[in-house]
Order: sequence, then C-alpha cells, then structure tokens
Amino acid sequence: MKRIFLILLFVFPLSLLSASLSYGQVQVRLRVFEASNVGTRIDSSLKDMRDQFKPLVDFSSYRLLKEETPTLYLNQSVSSPAHPGRKIELTLIRQHKNVADVRVKIQREEIDVLNTQVRLSPGRTISIGGPKHGEGVIIITLSAQF
Amino acid sequence: MNHEETQLISRCQQGDQEALKEIFDRYQKKVYRIAYGVVRHREEALDIVQEVFVKLFRSIKNFKGRSHFYTYLYRMVMNTAIDHARKMGKQFISSLDEEGSFEPSEEAGKWPERILLQKELEEKVKSAMEKLPAEQRAALIFREVEGLSYQEMADAMECSIGTVMSRLHYARKRMQELLKDYVGPQGQSGGPSNPLKEEGVR
Amino acid sequence: MTDSCSSVSKLLEKYFDREVTDKERLLVESHLQSCLTCRDTLMSMEGLRTFIKAPVEEAVQQEDFPWVWQKIDREIRSQEKGSWWQSLRSWMGLSPLFKKKVWIPAVATIATLLFISTQVIFKKIPSYSERSVVEYIESETYNIMVYESEKTKTTMIWLFDEEDQESSRS
Repeated sequence: MKRIFLILLFVFPLSLLSASLSYGQVQVRLRVFEASNVGTRIDSSLKDMRDQFKPLVDFSSYRLLKEETPTLYLNQSVSSPAHPGRKIELTLIRQHKNVADVRVKIQREEIDVLNTQVRLSPGRTISIGGPKHGEGVIIITLSAQF
Repeated sequence: MNHEETQLISRCQQGDQEALKEIFDRYQKKVYRIAYGVVRHREEALDIVQEVFVKLFRSIKNFKGRSHFYTYLYRMVMNTAIDHARKMGKQFISSLDEEGSFEPSEEAGKWPERILLQKELEEKVKSAMEKLPAEQRAALIFREVEGLSYQEMADAMECSIGTVMSRLHYARKRMQELLKDYVGPQGQSGGPSNPLKEEGVR
Repeated sequence: MTDSCSSVSKLLEKYFDREVTDKERLLVESHLQSCLTCRDTLMSMEGLRTFIKAPVEEAVQQEDFPWVWQKIDREIRSQEKGSWWQSLRSWMGLSPLFKKKVWIPAVATIATLLFISTQVIFKKIPSYSERSVVEYIESETYNIMVYESEKTKTTMIWLFDEEDQESSRS
C-alpha cells in the first residue's frame, strides 16, 4: 500500500503540470498514403480510414507512406515532406480545451499549392486528397489527440 | 566480405538498428531491382523490400558468415519475391480482366502510341515470367537484372554452376518462345536497344 | 546451321554472359564473323535482356527509398513494443500488487480527485463550437471541392488538377 501512495504522490503533481502544459499545444496525427484502384491491398493501420472515406471516395487499395505525430505549439510552424516534391506545414493558430485551429499549407517547389485553416476536434479527421501519385492519388489526413 | 561489412553485420546481430539502416542504404537498390524484376509491380516490390529488411533484422542472428552476406540476402529477397508473385499473380490478372484492359479506355486517348506499346510489352514480359518455374525465374533475374556471375548465382541459389547454366538456358529458351513476336532478329530493324522500332512506331 | 555452329552454339550463352575462357572467346568471335544465324541468336538474347532489364532500371531511378526505410523502422519498433512494456512492468514491480484488490477503490478515489482539481484550477473557458469547419481555403494550382460527412465525422478537401477537369469535360 505504501508503494501505491508513493507512486500516486508522484503522479499527482505531474498531472497538474501536464494539465497546465496542455494549453497552447496540441499533438496531431499526420498520415500520408496512396489510394488507388490497383489491387485490393489495404495497410492494416488504414482500415479505419477506408470506412471513414466510403461515403465520399472509395478506392480498392490504401497504402501508408508516412505517419507522424508532431506536437504543435502556438504560432510555431512544423514542416514535413508530404511526398516526393511536396512539403506540408502545420501551424497551431488557436487552441482551447478540445478544439484547435490549425493552418495547413502544402507547398511544391516553394509555391503554395494549398493554404487552408481547419478546426480540429475530438474524433474529427480532416483529409486532403487528389494530387496524382503513381497509379493513384495522395491523401493526407490530419486529426488531433486531445 | 570486407571488414567494414563484417562489423556492420555483427552490430546488426546485436540489435543495432542503425547498423540495419546502413545495410539498407547499401543494398536497397539491389534488393528493389530483384524484387521488381520478379513481380514487375512497384507497390509489391516496395512491400517486398520492406518485408525483406524486417525479416533480415529478425533472422540475421542465424547468419554465420559461411557464405557471402549478399548471397544470404539475395536468397531471402528471391524467396520473398517469388512468394509474393505467386500470391499476386491471379489477383492482378483478374483485376485486369475486370477492367478489360491495363488502362481505362478514356485514358488511352491521352497516351502516345509508343507508351501504350511499351505497356503492352511490359505486360507480355510479366506474363511470360510468371510461366517460368521459380528456379528459372530466379536465374534469369539474377543474371539479366542484377548481372551476377555464374559463381555468385550458384552461391545465392545453393546449387552448382552447371545447374545455374541449365536453368538460364531453359529460362531464356522459354522466354524467347513466349515473346517470339517481339524478340528476334526479324523484327529488330532498329537493333536490340530499341525494340519498339520493330513495330514501326516513329 | 553448319557443324561448327553446333559446337559454338553451346558456347554462345556463356559468351553472351562473359563467362568464357580466352580460348573459347576467340573461337566464338571468329565463328561470328561468318555466321549470320549465330549473330541473330546473340541479338535475340540481347533483345530479351533489354526487355527484362530496362523497365527495372527505370523503376529504380524513379524510386524514393527513405520512405521505405520509415516503414521498416516503424514495423520493427512495433514488433519490439510488447517486450518493452513487459520489462517496464517488471521494473516497476507492479505485477504482484495487482493481486491486491484494495488498490482499486483507492486509485478510483484519487483519480476522481485529480480530475476535479484540474478542472477547478484551470477555469473553464466558453468553448467554440465543436463542429470542425474549414475556415478558409485557397490554392494557386488546383480547383478545390470540400465534402463533409457528419456520419463519419470526416471533412475531405479534394484537389483537382485543371487538366483533369478539361479531360473529363472533353
């Protein structure tokens, strides 16, 4: 019993600290994958995405190219290559509890091919798709982990 | 096997992922070439490369250094690639059947005739390769794609040089029969480096 | 095909693969100067090699391997995750403690107190609407459509190439 209370005594201030730090930052999940109608292979980590997309687009094959979970801090941009030749830049604009406004820019050779600001909330996924890649298209998904 | 590679392998055997990354950097293209040579499909070839290096990391403890490392690796690639080819062969062909062609018809108008013929030829080569027994296909890929010597092929395939030559001979003979409309001196007015000229495409 | 062809033809493949001895090479090369059949056979082998090799080389040139490494790295790490958790558990020595059921109400009480205290300490601010929206969107190179599905809580921004649109109209 003594050990349990010692552990909890340690955990309590940490939880206060993490609660304070959770304002002004949000961790996001960024996935880049290729969707096509060649074959029927779906990467196991993407099966949930296929069900989400079904009302909107329906490909037979989904292949994960990249996955990252960066933490965004207020007004600080984070860049990552999205797929060959393209770069995605994320900036946390505003954050309250479980709502985060994120600016998303996709650049190709220094040109902004997309500039958008989206609002992320629990369970909501933003997807950006369409650019051709190989025999299919690239789809980028963004969601927040509150 | 040089000293540097021996050290890399030893580090990898102890679970050092950085060492695996270095091995990956050295061999990624060779592994991809063999994989693509067998399956002739980009995404499957990438899957094979991924599977091979994950397998390698798990099984490299079993590598005792009695053979060259590359023969150990090439054997792994070839076995994995042929397994994939067997699994995907019917699936890929049936999806082509469903579409009716290798390209949607509304797209065909956008493609130059030369590209369409190249794609047709590529499909014929792929289909012909699938008809070869696994050992003959392996011999052909090792020789024609990767340029291994007979001795290197014998090491990788764990057989004699005579067997290597025999497999190569029958593989080439079968491929020539299956591709006789494309390969052969009667069609090659432009020379072997540009086979499409035989089709009269300018 | 002449008699010398039948003896040289056995060496042709070896010659093509550059596996002949110097003596064999001279024999083949002098025969090739006068034999069209054997020259044609060599050309066929060369043609076959090109058909098999050229698409592979093209594919290798176009490939971007750092992507592949990321997937390999992730796969290896996910396979190792299970063992890390087990060693962490044994390090903390928690496993015997789970056998004592008295910790359940104690932890539940503490967790509830923690939750309430963090809510009180960090004052609630009126929240935005939780419905995700696209606040603005612009593109210099694509036409854009935005789709929303409330059922799956998905917002899809689809980018169309201008040439895709022209070809679908024509």
